Amino acid sequence: MFSIKLAGENSIIIYFGDHASPDLIEKIRFYRQLITDELGEIIIDVVPSYTTLMVSYQLDLVSHIEFCKQVEEFLNKPFKPSASSSNLIEIPVYYGLDVGLDLEQLLIDSDLNLEQFIEIHSSPTYLVYAIGFSPAFAFLGEVDERIRRPRLHNPRINIPAGSVGIADNQTAVYPIDSSGGWNIIGQTPIDLSLDNSDNLTRFTAGDHVRFLPIDKQQYLNLGGIL
Amino acid sequence: MSFKVIKPGFLSLVEDYGRFGLAQYGLSQSGVMDEHAYCWANHLLDNHFNDAVLEITFGGCELKALTNSSIVVTGADLDFKINGKEQLLWHVLSIKPDDVLTWSMAKNGVRSYLAIKSGFQTKELFNSRSVNLREHIGSKLAEGDELLSKIDVPEAVQHAIPSHFVPDYKQDLILRLLPSYQFDQFDSQQKQIFFNQRYTISSASDRTGCRLEGQGIQNVPSTMISEGISYGSVEITTQGLPIILLKDSPTIGGYPKIGTMFSLDLADLAQRQSGSKVIFELINIETAQKKRNDFNAFFAIN
Repeated sequence: MFSIKLAGENSIIIYFGDHASPDLIEKIRFYRQLITDELGEIIIDVVPSYTTLMVSYQLDLVSHIEFCKQVEEFLNKPFKPSASSSNLIEIPVYYGLDVGLDLEQLLIDSDLNLEQFIEIHSSPTYLVYAIGFSPAFAFLGEVDERIRRPRLHNPRINIPAGSVGIADNQTAVYPIDSSGGWNIIGQTPIDLSLDNSDNLTRFTAGDHVRFLPIDKQQYLNLGGIL
Repeated sequence: MSFKVIKPGFLSLVEDYGRFGLAQYGLSQSGVMDEHAYCWANHLLDNHFNDAVLEITFGGCELKALTNSSIVVTGADLDFKINGKEQLLWHVLSIKPDDVLTWSMAKNGVRSYLAIKSGFQTKELFNSRSVNLREHIGSKLAEGDELLSKIDVPEAVQHAIPSHFVPDYKQDLILRLLPSYQFDQFDSQQKQIFFNQRYTISSASDRTGCRLEGQGIQNVPSTMISEGISYGSVEITTQGLPIILLKDSPTIGGYPKIGTMFSLDLADLAQRQSGSKVIFELINIETAQKKRNDFNAFFAIN
């Protein structure tokens, strides 16, 4: 089931469900594709998120009422889980106490040693639930219950680009230097910043991400900075 | 080459109509804060609607002309002068090498727009020349920068705007709101508080959002699942106060939204100083679309 609501003078938002799940992300991905394929020329932007899809359109080409009707038609078509698998993006991470600003605290809180912690964080294949906060910032889920931790009470003013963080059941890599309240557990040597313009489109909602643990030497060899 | 920056001012940014088609990757719309002043500036020069201009906030800016060109300055009255002489705003002006252009202080409004024939030729990043400091895309004007433009032979024709289109930025502002997103989840008492008060624009406002001060709405849910944010979305924070999300806002967010502003009222809002008063009233989608379509048609925006 879905419902369509007004989002702005040339945008609507489609609600697909009440809580996020991999199945719902897959569904949103399917209808996003369908709508952009079919209505591409009148669509300006699509913004998928955990349970929703926002769509903005050219209001000189179609009215709100008419656009809702067209979108509804596509939403009423049966959902077919995609046969082709989504992208898998691999990100090397150095889980070191010298770069993971909150790693020590998380080890204490979770009563785990470093190897166990790395194993728990790096073994799942994470799903990109949403992109936002800043460009190319991918919200990944779900983090194993043993290593979850809420956001910091006092967000940091500056988290270096490449930092890998945890907030509750989500994990993410900060693509650019930014302020933020996530618990930092490691660092990727890979440049995910927009200095390389290909990085903007590296992640799409519905993609999958794996973290590959690397040691300090590998981190440095790959251009990592301490 | 057309200008050398002598003083960059408080915040001077090259902006165009905005960055579109990449919101799914988290890129803000960006672009000029006052579309009315911006569109008139380009229109008077027969520019394309998307040509890049300089958005000068509060003033403190000084530029030296290096070439002949036609320019227009619109928007806020920041005491704009050429070689120390006051100049008309909303009016095509011819400048020549060594002319010194200054915007010293905010007399009426906040943001002044300097448009030049064919637009400033800064580097396009992700389909737009708009600088977005929050996203580290481009940078603000700095001393010694050179602003490039195409070679121009100034025309004798002196286009100017009909005076009734020149806004007065000192009046209280009525902000027209579309009942969107979680509008129905606010009860009648909460809506009464929202629509029946004059809010004050907070000094903690910027290109990302305009914060309003006033009586808070009680019992607003603190967060929801993050969802796509459209330009002009009015979030209600945990304290019950509105934040109107503007051009540099993130693409998704988790505060409940009581509605979305009609875009052209945001142009007027962009010129209100902190301490100014605003009131909300409702507008329906048909009216909003008609008004915006008329605006777009007039300025050949597509």
